[in-house]
Amino acid sequence: MAISPFWRTSRFRRTLIYGAAAAALLAGMLGLIYAQTAGYLGREADKILRVEAAALETSPPADLPRRIEQAVHDDPRHIEIYGLFSREGLRIAGNAPGLAHLQPDGRSRELGPTEGYPETCRVMAVRLPWGEILVVGRLANQLAEVRRIIMAALMWSGGLVAVAGLALGAALSIQPMRRIQAVREASLRVAQGDLAVRLPIAGRHDEIDMLAGVVNQMMDEIERLATEARSAGDVVAHDLRTPLTRLRLLLSRLRQASDLAPAHAVTLDEALAETDALMGRFKAILRISEFENQRRRAGFRQVELLTLLEQAADLYRPLAAEKGIALETVAHGSAIVQADPDLILEALANLIDNAVKFTPHGGAIFLALAVAPDGPELVVVDNGPGVPPEERAAVTRRFYRSRRDQTRPGAGLGLSIVAAIAHLHGFALVLEDAEPGLRAAIQCWPRALSSGEA
Amino acid sequence: MARVLTIEDDETTAREIVAELTSRGFEVEAVADGREGLVRAAAGGFDAITLDRMLPGLDGLAVLRVLRESGVETPVLMISALSDVDERVRGLRAGGDDYLVKPFEVEEMSARLEALLRRRRAPERQTVLRVADLAFDLVTRDVSRGGEAIRLLPTEMKLLEYLMRNASEVVTRTMIFEAVWGYHFDPGTNLIDVHLGQLRRKIDPPGAPPLIRTIRGAGYSIRAEA
Repeated sequence: MAISPFWRTSRFRRTLIYGAAAAALLAGMLGLIYAQTAGYLGREADKILRVEAAALETSPPADLPRRIEQAVHDDPRHIEIYGLFSREGLRIAGNAPGLAHLQPDGRSRELGPTEGYPETCRVMAVRLPWGEILVVGRLANQLAEVRRIIMAALMWSGGLVAVAGLALGAALSIQPMRRIQAVREASLRVAQGDLAVRLPIAGRHDEIDMLAGVVNQMMDEIERLATEARSAGDVVAHDLRTPLTRLRLLLSRLRQASDLAPAHAVTLDEALAETDALMGRFKAILRISEFENQRRRAGFRQVELLTLLEQAADLYRPLAAEKGIALETVAHGSAIVQADPDLILEALANLIDNAVKFTPHGGAIFLALAVAPDGPELVVVDNGPGVPPEERAAVTRRFYRSRRDQTRPGAGLGLSIVAAIAHLHGFALVLEDAEPGLRAAIQCWPRALSSGEA
Repeated sequence: MARVLTIEDDETTAREIVAELTSRGFEVEAVADGREGLVRAAAGGFDAITLDRMLPGLDGLAVLRVLRESGVETPVLMISALSDVDERVRGLRAGGDDYLVKPFEVEEMSARLEALLRRRRAPERQTVLRVADLAFDLVTRDVSRGGEAIRLLPTEMKLLEYLMRNASEVVTRTMIFEAVWGYHFDPGTNLIDVHLGQLRRKIDPPGAPPLIRTIRGAGYSIRAEA
C-alpha cells in the first residue's frame, strides 16, 4: 500500500507555516532597519546639502562660479554635485548640466539615474537673491549600498529559513509518519475484519497515543460485542439444530410405520418435504454466518480461475441443457488469485443455479473470465428478466426475496451466500443490467485495500 | 449382524438414531456420556461408531483422539452441530472417517454408516466392477452393457464408478456430490438428479432392465435384481 508522502503530514505543514511566519517577521524587521537607516542617512545628507547651499549663498555673486568650479575640482571622487544656472536655465558653472530645471524650492529630493544626473543622487535647488539658481547635491550611493546589504541579508536569511524550515519539517514529520503508517496498517487489518488487532502505542503520551488509546478502547468494546453476538448466534443455532434434527427424525420414523393410512402418508410426505426445505434454508443461513464469522483463511491458496469456471460449467451444463438453455464459457486469458477454491466454486455454483432458475426455456447463459483493469472478474450473464436497479443491493442481503423470486421456489439465499463468500475474500459481488437479463460479477481484487486509498 | 455404538447426549436424537439403525438391521447400543462411550468403544466388539461432537463428560474430539491413540480402528461417523469447514477438517484429522452436520436426515446418516462399513469390509483389489450385465473395467476405463461398449464423459464415468463401488447400497445425493465432485456445499435444485438422469439414459436403454434406481427420500442405488 502507498505510504503517504511526508509533505502531507500535519507536522510538516505546521513547520512550514512557522517558517513562513519567521521569514515574514525577519523581512519586516530588516525593512524597518532599512527605513530607519535610509531616513537617517537622508537626513544627514540633507543637513550637509543645506550647509553647503547656505555657504555658497553667502558668497558674492561674482565669485560664485569660480567657487563652484573650485569645489568640483576639490572633489576627486565625484561625490558632490554642483550647478549654477541663469534665470533662463542656462548653465553658468558646475558638473550637473541636466539639473537646470529643478524646482528651486530649497527642498532636498532623491533623483533616479534618468532624472537629469547619470547616477542616483540627493539634490536641492535654491533661487539666489539675484535670480540665479543654485543646485547642490551628493551621490546617494551610500544609501544604495545600505539597501543592497539589507536586501542581501534578507535574501540569504530568507533562503536559510526556507531550507532549514523544510529540512526541519521533514525531519520532524518522519517519526509521526512512521507511526501513522503503523496505525494505518493496523486499521486496514481491522477493516478486513480482524477485530483482535490493536493500534500501536509509542508510550509518548502525545496526541497520536491518545487517539490510538481511545480507538483501542473502542475496539475492545466492539470485539466484546461481536464475540457476544457471535456466541449468541452460535447458541441459537445450536438450540435450533437439535429440535430440527429431532423433528426430522420423528417424522421419518412415523412415515416408516406400516399401518399408515394412504392419506396420512401423503400428508406426512408433505411435512417431510417442508422440513427438508426448512433444513435447507437453515443450513444456508448457518453457512452465511459461518462465512461472516470466519476469519481464518486456512483454505486460501493460488487458484486458477479459468479451471474453476470450467469445473462449474461442467457441473451445471446438464442442468441447463435439461431446460433447453445453452451454457457457454468465454475466457479472455487466464488469471490466478489467492482464494479458497471450494468457496469460489460454491459462489459460482450459486450464481449459475440462480441464472438457470431465471432464464427462460431456450435462453442462454454465458460464463466468462474477464480481465478488468483492476484485476480478473468471474462473470455470469443470463438473459432472464434481470433484477431491477433498486433491488440490486437488496438481493445480496440475507433473507431478501426479489419480486422475481416470489413465483419461484428457493429461499433467495443464493446471492447472499455469494456476497458473503466474496466479502470473506475481500472481493465484491456486482450486479448489473445485461439488457436483457442479469450480469453478476465476482470482482476478484481486494476491496478493503483500494477503498482504504480513497 | 453389524454392531453399532451410538454416543449421543440428546435423548430424542439418540432414540431415533437407534430406531433407524435397528430398522436397517443393525444391533445398536447407545450411551449418552463421552467417558462411558470411550470405555465401551475401547472394549471393542463394534463394527462402527456414531459420535456426537459435543458431549458432556468428555468432548467428542477427545474421545476420538484417545480411541485412535490406543489403536482402536473402528470406523467413526462424527455427528456435529458445528458445520465449519475447519471443524470438519479437525474431525477428520482426529481420526473420524466421515462427518455429518446436524440437522441431518436419518437416511443420510444410515447410508453414510453403511458406506463406512463397506469401506472397511471390502478393500479387495477389483479390476472390473460388475452389476448384472454392466461391466466397468477400472484399468482400461471401458464400460459396456451386455457386451456393448458405452461411451461416457469423464464425469459420468466417475459417477458410475462410485455407484458401482457401492453396488446394491443406497448412496445419498450429498454423498455422491462429495465423492464424485469433492465439494461440501449444497449444490441446490436437482443438480445431482440431472447428472444421474444423463448417466441413466446411457446405462439403462429402453427395453433393458433398469439398474440405476431412485430410492425415495434417500438417494440412488445401482443393483441387479428386479
